[in-house]
Amino acid sequence: MADNPAPAPAPSDQVTVTIDGRQHQFPKGTILVEACNQVGANVPFFCYHPGLSSPAVCRQCLVEVKGQPKPVPSCYTPVADKMEVQTASPKVLDVRRQMLEFTLVNHPIDCPICDKAGECMLQKHYFDWDGKYARNDGIKVRKDKVVDVGPHIVLDQERCILCTRCIRVCDEVAKVHQLEMADRGDHEVLTTAPGHRLDNPYSLNTVDVCPVGALTAKDFRFAMRAWELYSTPSVCAGCATGCNSDVHASRGRIYRLVPRPNPAVNKHWMCDEGRFTYKRIHADRLAAPMVAGVPVEWDRALDEAGRRLQAALDADPGSVGVVFNAQSTNEDLYALARLCFDHLRIGKAYLAGLPDGWHDDILVSADKNPNMAGARAVGAGRLHGLLELVTDLRAGALRGLLVVGTDGLLPAAAGAAATQPFEGIEGLVVLSTHRGPLLNVAQVAMPLAAWAEVDGTFTNRQGMVQRIRAAIPAAGDALPGWEILSHLARKLGAAMDFPDAKTVFLEAKQKLSFMKEADWGKPRLPVQLRFASSRG
Amino acid sequence: MHGTVRMVLEVEGEKISSADVQIGYLHRCFEKESEYATWTQVFPYTDRLNYISPMLNNVGYAMAVEKLMGITAKIPERAQFIRVIVGEISRITDHMTCLGAGAMELGAFTPFLYLLKAREWLFELLEEVCGARLTVSYLRIGGCAYDLPEGFDGKLRDILARSRQVLVDVGKLLERNRIFRDRMDGIGVISKEDALAYGITGPVGRSTGLAYDVRKDAPYLVYDRFDFDVPVGSVGDNFDRYGVRVEEIHQSMRILEQALEKIPAGPVIVDDPKVALPPKNETYNSIEAMIAHFKIIMDGIHVPAGEVYSYTEAGNGELGFYLVSDGSGRPWKCRVRPPCFSSTSILPKILPGLFIADVVPTFGMINMIGGECDR
Repeated sequence: MADNPAPAPAPSDQVTVTIDGRQHQFPKGTILVEACNQVGANVPFFCYHPGLSSPAVCRQCLVEVKGQPKPVPSCYTPVADKMEVQTASPKVLDVRRQMLEFTLVNHPIDCPICDKAGECMLQKHYFDWDGKYARNDGIKVRKDKVVDVGPHIVLDQERCILCTRCIRVCDEVAKVHQLEMADRGDHEVLTTAPGHRLDNPYSLNTVDVCPVGALTAKDFRFAMRAWELYSTPSVCAGCATGCNSDVHASRGRIYRLVPRPNPAVNKHWMCDEGRFTYKRIHADRLAAPMVAGVPVEWDRALDEAGRRLQAALDADPGSVGVVFNAQSTNEDLYALARLCFDHLRIGKAYLAGLPDGWHDDILVSADKNPNMAGARAVGAGRLHGLLELVTDLRAGALRGLLVVGTDGLLPAAAGAAATQPFEGIEGLVVLSTHRGPLLNVAQVAMPLAAWAEVDGTFTNRQGMVQRIRAAIPAAGDALPGWEILSHLARKLGAAMDFPDAKTVFLEAKQKLSFMKEADWGKPRLPVQLRFASSRG
Repeated sequence: MHGTVRMVLEVEGEKISSADVQIGYLHRCFEKESEYATWTQVFPYTDRLNYISPMLNNVGYAMAVEKLMGITAKIPERAQFIRVIVGEISRITDHMTCLGAGAMELGAFTPFLYLLKAREWLFELLEEVCGARLTVSYLRIGGCAYDLPEGFDGKLRDILARSRQVLVDVGKLLERNRIFRDRMDGIGVISKEDALAYGITGPVGRSTGLAYDVRKDAPYLVYDRFDFDVPVGSVGDNFDRYGVRVEEIHQSMRILEQALEKIPAGPVIVDDPKVALPPKNETYNSIEAMIAHFKIIMDGIHVPAGEVYSYTEAGNGELGFYLVSDGSGRPWKCRVRPPCFSSTSILPKILPGLFIADVVPTFGMINMIGGECDR
């Protein structure tokens, strides 16, 4: 699937609009500001957001329309046939400059300490459209600087330019009214609605849409300068929805996830829970291969794993099991399926994954695995549930077990007793991203790269195969699953050797019907945000 | 002989039959690096082109960006005069280094020390202006980083007077010196036609009788307000190149003296928050200037999309910058036309037939500067 599928096909009736002397065709109902910016007129705005309603409060997008006595807010005006629009007439430029001057009168001189600096729309618009020194040296109106409005967000009322985007995000996306404007004139402030805090599950979207640094995320506050971050397009791995997101990282560390617009999946939004999934990537990782609890070189671990699995296979192929995981990419799942079904003829396969959690009707899925659909499709009915795994373990039917991904394999609250059923296995080989109790009983443990460290695809709940990209280098010696499995296949004498994730993908695409439409996309290096224009 | 160039000579006895001049050992990705720097951040890179006259490279680059932005006419007059002054100082240091080193390579160590002494006076003066002898980065798009220091006028006049005496001394040591003349006269002759064909400009081009000087033929800054001559040679040999350079030092001194007379008071950079960094007082006390400061530093000055070729007279000849902008704060392409690349490229043509020992003065008077030639 492409990263950004094109918007739905336009309705057939088109109108002709003249923008800056050139005629263009637009579908009826297009908002004028969108029309102008589509043809490169570059009309600035603060309060308008393509995913929200337009209140036309900031007056930054004023343009001249022939026949109208005053400049009109283009974010509030639908295109009409034979409309003649001027976006760069002296009057428009003057109005644009005056609005910016007006907005800046009470804006605090915070750029050096503001988290939004570098991706701030006010900075961008001032530099592009104003570029004059201050004429007013009066005392600025003081407001509250550090208002704790919710569990994830801090509000700086002085920086707020009163665009009301955040209010509309809460109202229209999260469907709760938690923010409001209070007072009038230059004393007008953003505040929480009476009896409310900004604590909805989509609250961090207010930080994204905030054109300035008024709303900042506690998690990102003072953590990193925005322009130092490198952005990699990827997909959130928090649940089966697969919200498109950008991973913002620097020097091997992820600092935040932000939503990437995709009208077919998440529009412009992302839930708070999903944004924090990156934290787990940096916590408690398995960094080196281990044999009997001792860190070793990759070769030694692969030898030992191959030897133990081979011994179990030689004794009885029916006594070797494999655990798939719905947290794995399609590529890892496919490589594992190839190895155990086609090459080793293993009969006992199971599917692990995180248990269901809370959900809503907006974005959050109950299924907390990013690739459950892919795992089921790759398994094609051959994967058994975890209950059967426990039954087989207790019955002593398994001599060898290959686990690729440990998430959800042991109940989180089970404690030390949970590993007891695994203790009898002679060849327990575990590939895991994180440390965990299972590694204590495994003969061989191998570090698996996490989702932000690999190239691959996830299949979301709609069946869309979406591309994820490596944003940071893998922790320690960790390798992607398909690569470890290729090495392991060599030790087991299986003819499977993949050079890279794309090769696995292309082969899977040919073999698996659900991936038929999938597209690997072009290679993309992480882009440093200083080289990208300001987000908004 | 030279750390950044290699010459493979085929010889018959002491005579050179063919020469292969291999350049490129000082390639530092100037052009590629520039694409990752803001327009302003390119200045330190230009310092290191012709590192004997960094101010002239600063001038050439600043003029090119300003031409692309269409603000050439808005550069304050004082800034234009300052550019002429520091540029001509740099031209003098460039020629002094070339002459001194050229003489030293022929065994005349004393003129080298004399000339470097004079060069040092000028370098120290530049250090007073901008804080560095060589890595000056003094100019900015739209003007200069700061004004000339207090007492600059008197110091420069004093240095010029003393330098004139140095030139007299050096002339006495070299111009009637039998060894020096024998190794310079009639050696490494370049014809006028060849100079044109190879695109040779600057002192080397003028030594062949080609009276081309960008300052005269396409005046920029305020050069049209000064009275100065363009010296030309008649033979195109090494001694002509020596003579042209000596005379150019005198002409530069003339320009400097006139510039000191005529320099007006006023600002040294354009008054536009989109181009010039705001004054510190404004930056810390108004949001407008704060944003402008932030954007210029972090995003770079926005140069309108387009392309431009701009050329100035540098120490070795026509220094050209071909710039392409995509409208962002960084050059899309920053190509340099280095004058000594053309001059160096004629060596394989003029060296054959000479003695091995003649390579030394010929290469010296061509004045190849690796930083500029290879970039």
